[in-house]
Amino acid sequence: MSSHSGGPSSTPPDPNQNPVLAWLESRIGYKGLVKMMIDEPIPGGARWWYVFGSVLTFILTMQLLTGVFLASFYSPASNTAWASVAFINDQLTMGWFVRGLHSTGASAMIVLTCMHLAQVLIYGAYKAPREMNWVVGVLMLGMVMAFALTGYLLPWDQKGYWATQVATSIIGSSPVIGPAIQKLLQGGSAYGTFTITHFYALHTYVLPGAIIGLLLLHLYLFRRHGVTAKWNTSPQELARKTEPFWPDQLYRDMVACGITFLAIVLIVIKNHGTELEAPADPSSSYIARPEWYFLPLFQLLKYFEGPLEIVGTMVIPGLAGGLLVALPFLDRSPTRDPRRRLVVMIGAAAGFAGVIMMGLLAVRHDNADPNYAKQRAEASEQSETARHLALKGVPPEGGQAVFRNDPLFEAREIWAEKCSGCHSLTGQGGEKGPDLHDYNSRAWILSFLQNPDAPTRMGPAKLEKGMKAVTGTPEELAALTELVYAESGASDVNPALVAKGKELLSEKDCDSCHDMDGTTENTGPNLKGRGTLKYVKDTISDSGPPLLYGKKDKMPAFNEKLTPQQIDLMAKFVLGQKKK
Amino acid sequence: MTGAIGAVIGAIAVIPGLGFLATPLKKEMVTGGEEPLRVGSIDDVKPGKPKRVNVVGDKHDAWLHMDAVKLGACWLVREKDGGPVKAYSTVCPHLGCGIDWNDKTEKFDCPCHGSVFDTEGKCVEGPSPRGMDELEVVTAGNDIKVRYRRFRLAIHDKEPVG
Repeated sequence: MSSHSGGPSSTPPDPNQNPVLAWLESRIGYKGLVKMMIDEPIPGGARWWYVFGSVLTFILTMQLLTGVFLASFYSPASNTAWASVAFINDQLTMGWFVRGLHSTGASAMIVLTCMHLAQVLIYGAYKAPREMNWVVGVLMLGMVMAFALTGYLLPWDQKGYWATQVATSIIGSSPVIGPAIQKLLQGGSAYGTFTITHFYALHTYVLPGAIIGLLLLHLYLFRRHGVTAKWNTSPQELARKTEPFWPDQLYRDMVACGITFLAIVLIVIKNHGTELEAPADPSSSYIARPEWYFLPLFQLLKYFEGPLEIVGTMVIPGLAGGLLVALPFLDRSPTRDPRRRLVVMIGAAAGFAGVIMMGLLAVRHDNADPNYAKQRAEASEQSETARHLALKGVPPEGGQAVFRNDPLFEAREIWAEKCSGCHSLTGQGGEKGPDLHDYNSRAWILSFLQNPDAPTRMGPAKLEKGMKAVTGTPEELAALTELVYAESGASDVNPALVAKGKELLSEKDCDSCHDMDGTTENTGPNLKGRGTLKYVKDTISDSGPPLLYGKKDKMPAFNEKLTPQQIDLMAKFVLGQKKK
Repeated sequence: MTGAIGAVIGAIAVIPGLGFLATPLKKEMVTGGEEPLRVGSIDDVKPGKPKRVNVVGDKHDAWLHMDAVKLGACWLVREKDGGPVKAYSTVCPHLGCGIDWNDKTEKFDCPCHGSVFDTEGKCVEGPSPRGMDELEVVTAGNDIKVRYRRFRLAIHDKEPVG
């Protein structure tokens, strides 16, 4: 500690002072402590260049506070993590703001740490006798990155789940001890609840403890050796201009903290907090991208193939880190003038430019990739759907189960998996079966009658001896359409047209293939109740019975592939394709 | 003596503590998919057109038991000239991203670090140290069943985890 450090105050109590404060002063000597904190002499006087450490301490405090707020509502388990974060974000008062501050604060922490590092580099403040303070600082940079990495897994959303896998896989790929460390870190050989509890313990206990410890050490070493003044000032000038931390430097620090905080708040408001993607889905093909500050490392992984892979995952990042730690021991010349440390200055600038360039390359590559844009749009749509559905409460299975709040979501999934190979919903025509866009509408039925083998109707099914096109006046076709339409149980039926349609059945020869009584088997489907829920369910279950398509049937029976509930759901889904 | 007392206290505290923390090394914490699970039927897989299917089964995760949840996904592949259905995990052996099928190039792409695989799962481009991980397929009649496993990533050899 510097020579003027505090201790019990030796001055006698001031009779005018508040008796409570006087008592406190006599017991704990707080005045000495305050004096020690604000009276630190700054050789050469206050400078804007010195604000970064204070701003970082301020952001760290903000992170600790918002972290405690978040931890008060967060639940670390695979079935609750996403649901609790969605609740914090979308249902707690100002939840989005607190979470936004914490997330944006993490980004600010990285930016400010780099600025702090740059200032120390330029001022040559890592040189003797301050080598250890530099080393502690670099360790703290590592801590900040570890905070970020453990933090963005915790929401257990798609981004956290997939991007963090990359990091833990890299750890697991290191020789000999890699797999064991990976297992210990993620609490098992695969991602699960214990991955969340482990990262949570690291993020909320281990890392804060470590970074506070290192911060105290950093401050202690800083006070021990004092501020590193600008290189070109003479000792006499430094001594002449020396002033205490309070008030000028503290003022500058406060202004810098204020500006930083304002910037963070504005970003949080502009983004309305921070993103929360859909719940983690281990079966999805999510395009994993880390947070922006890890993009340079991410880009680095693309360049080394096969056995050289380790160069990108470990050798280069390891060397860069090692070089950073070793800097004060490599650059031991006493001069602090940047112009006379060109190797270090240029090396650092090149390294920094390299990092920025890698990050930009990663962004540019993604921006040029239409597939990336498409998947991003899908991911953001999924996220919106999931968060919207979570407002109704998340089922106890948690995570992906939130989508069960929306029956149509399951229907779309089943459709994509079981139906879309043959049928289409776009009106463009399916591969092997009718397009069901606007199914059950008059327009759909009419176009079927006019051309049953159209590409959007039965055409793709290539039925042998299928239905012949119905010819007639528009009025006649409208009457037949109305007759079929009425079978669906629609409420807006025109009875006169239906009656006319019935008369036309024989005249147009419809009845040689189709009956309408629900009992007579014929070569075409019996049209009784066509388009009702029951009819569609029966068709999906098994369209092979003689009352439906009989020998002409080509569609697989789904009564063994889908549960009765799923068939019901899919029938409703198909009926829902009718334009409202 | 002071040191010895400290060492004894330390050992008594540390040994059980380390054992506690090391449990994941000895015990599987996430299980599921050990038995073959139905992922589709042979008719679903057209030759030359890989199909992505979810592997759905019961999962045990820490203290949670979940029925019928997604364990992962795989690509079912049949060569253009027919042949048996093969299954490849969608997990990229490089660093674990989900592999996609590219209809235009008729290759598998990893969207993260750019590895490219052919229809036999072989890595033809990019950083992946090995080809796509093939999963064991069990056919029963028309049904395709898959034994879902995960493998260590970013190493040359295909080693199952857990």
